[in-house]
Amino acid sequence: MAIKANWENANKALIIKMDEKFDYSKVQEFRHVYTELSEPPKEIRIDLADTQYMDSSALGMLLNMQKHFCDKDKTVNYKIINSRPQVARILKISRFDKKFDIS
Amino acid sequence: MRILIVDDESLNRFLLQHMLEDEGYKDCIEAKDGEEALKLAEKHKPDLVLLDVMMPGISGFEVAPILKKLYKGSYLPIIFITALDDRESLIKCLEVGGDDFVSKPFDKLILAAKIRAHARTRLLSKKVDKQNQELLGFQRKVDREHTIVEHIFSNAIVNNESVVKFFDFKVSPAATFNGDLFLCEASPGGGLYYLVGDFTGHGLASAIGALPVTRSFQAMAVKGLSIGEMAFTLNSMLLQLLPPDMFFAAVIVEVDVSGKRLTIWNGGMPQMLLKSKEGELIRKFLSKHMALGILDESEFDSECEVFDTEHGDQLFACTDGLMEITNKDGKMLDEEGVEKWYFASPHVTAEHLYQQARAYLGEAEPHDDMTIAIYRSTPLHDLKENIQISATPFEISLKLSSEALKNEQALESIMNMINSQQGLNWIRSDLFTVLTEMFNNSLEHGLLHLDSRVKRSPEGFITYYEQREKRLSALENGFIHITLIYSPAQKMLTIVMKDSGAGFDIEKVNNPDLTSSSGRGVLLMRELCETIEYSEGGTKATATMKV
Repeated sequence: MAIKANWENANKALIIKMDEKFDYSKVQEFRHVYTELSEPPKEIRIDLADTQYMDSSALGMLLNMQKHFCDKDKTVNYKIINSRPQVARILKISRFDKKFDIS
Repeated sequence: MRILIVDDESLNRFLLQHMLEDEGYKDCIEAKDGEEALKLAEKHKPDLVLLDVMMPGISGFEVAPILKKLYKGSYLPIIFITALDDRESLIKCLEVGGDDFVSKPFDKLILAAKIRAHARTRLLSKKVDKQNQELLGFQRKVDREHTIVEHIFSNAIVNNESVVKFFDFKVSPAATFNGDLFLCEASPGGGLYYLVGDFTGHGLASAIGALPVTRSFQAMAVKGLSIGEMAFTLNSMLLQLLPPDMFFAAVIVEVDVSGKRLTIWNGGMPQMLLKSKEGELIRKFLSKHMALGILDESEFDSECEVFDTEHGDQLFACTDGLMEITNKDGKMLDEEGVEKWYFASPHVTAEHLYQQARAYLGEAEPHDDMTIAIYRSTPLHDLKENIQISATPFEISLKLSSEALKNEQALESIMNMINSQQGLNWIRSDLFTVLTEMFNNSLEHGLLHLDSRVKRSPEGFITYYEQREKRLSALENGFIHITLIYSPAQKMLTIVMKDSGAGFDIEKVNNPDLTSSSGRGVLLMRELCETIEYSEGGTKATATMKV
């Protein structure tokens, strides 16, 4: 699996770790990670420590994830962690810092 | 066994030779005085000398020390056969270098027994001699080989000068070859990577692994791999390369261009210590993994720690060689000791710690290699300017048919080609985004006639990509022509993407709706490229990027 999902803080926070590429080839797999949950998490952290390459479909995937929980009336805290400078720049250009806590 | 008989009386010589022949010593040479004895000894290299004392010319007492000198290291037995029987003379026989004496007229049995005894010692001496020669030869061969290997090591394990200046470090091998390793290299993202590691043991056997580790570390750094991938790759390589009882403990660190973001993987190394400007402990980074070269790929954990620090803070790493030094009372310095030393003041240098370690050891030599590396957080923007950009202009042109488009390898191949060019890999993340956007635009809209509006709902988003997959596998006609032109003079990369599709309304793209999924891609490209133009009715896009 190219995407790794782990739980932290007594199953309150879901950490989704992406690999080198976060692009259109991950659409199905990424969605699968959060749609199959029995209980929605309090927090979702997208770990981009390994990610070097990203395209605009990745942005779409992130927004869709928010929409998914929003439609279910669940408040989830979203964080994007460990992003590399080049990837952080793409997120910033796309104004994602307004919707995600990026570090 | 060659025996030299020295006597001025021929009768004596005759008697001695006869007796020797009876005893089985057939190889005898005779000298009638001291001078002849010396000449023959030099020429025939006898194994034993029977020497008369009183002879005309040089006496036996004078001949003995010269003969002994002639044989230097190896043992040449000299037995005096003498008519003198006073105590002084007999003692003198031994003092001038003789090994034994027999009085004239000699007792055949006693003389024969003495010859046999000394022959045994002579044989032993010859054997030792031969072994010494062999050892010497072996030593020379090893020395020569070590010189060659040293040469290779000193040429192969070289750190980039523009990167190394950001470190305060001390590398101290216990033997000629170092089983410890300190490597650093610039990252294409503008930051840097470094590695402090320690192979099991020390000396040549443990140093040999440093070569492949250095090479692959440097190659991975140039590609800009993440720390986790580096650790994973090194582990797989060493697992295959090293014998089962040998492994490589290492910390691998990436520092981003700001100099503040630290990403750390620590496998089997002592704790790393992060110290503030004021000299206080901020954090310890403990080993969370097993050393490299032990675990199978499936068991390997590439999880890293990420920490944001402040400029001026210092990250300290050392190998266990420093912790394991013992003083004259047999007390080991240990992790606590190292920590105490390092936090003694805000500025403790690697050299200072090393000198402190030598003082702690006292007379003793360290048993293991010692390495200390300290990184002080500073902005790393200068680093990027030091990197040379390839001076060779090139043009890459690919015409992808529907079949080639199906295996979706084209973009990866292009990325690999660009990444192999010095300096161009700096922009690889941006290039990937631009290239993917342009390519998908041509493919999804030009060739597959997908409608972006489908993407607006989460379900539609999935539907869109399902349709993409379905239509692509059914695609029979069409092409996408990609051209990349690099101009070193302008430091510019131009990307041209032409497709066989029907095109689109260029006006619409120039005023994109930023809330939609498709609009985001356009916005991204505008930010990442210097220029972006659409022409030929929307079937051709031309983008330029600054390198």
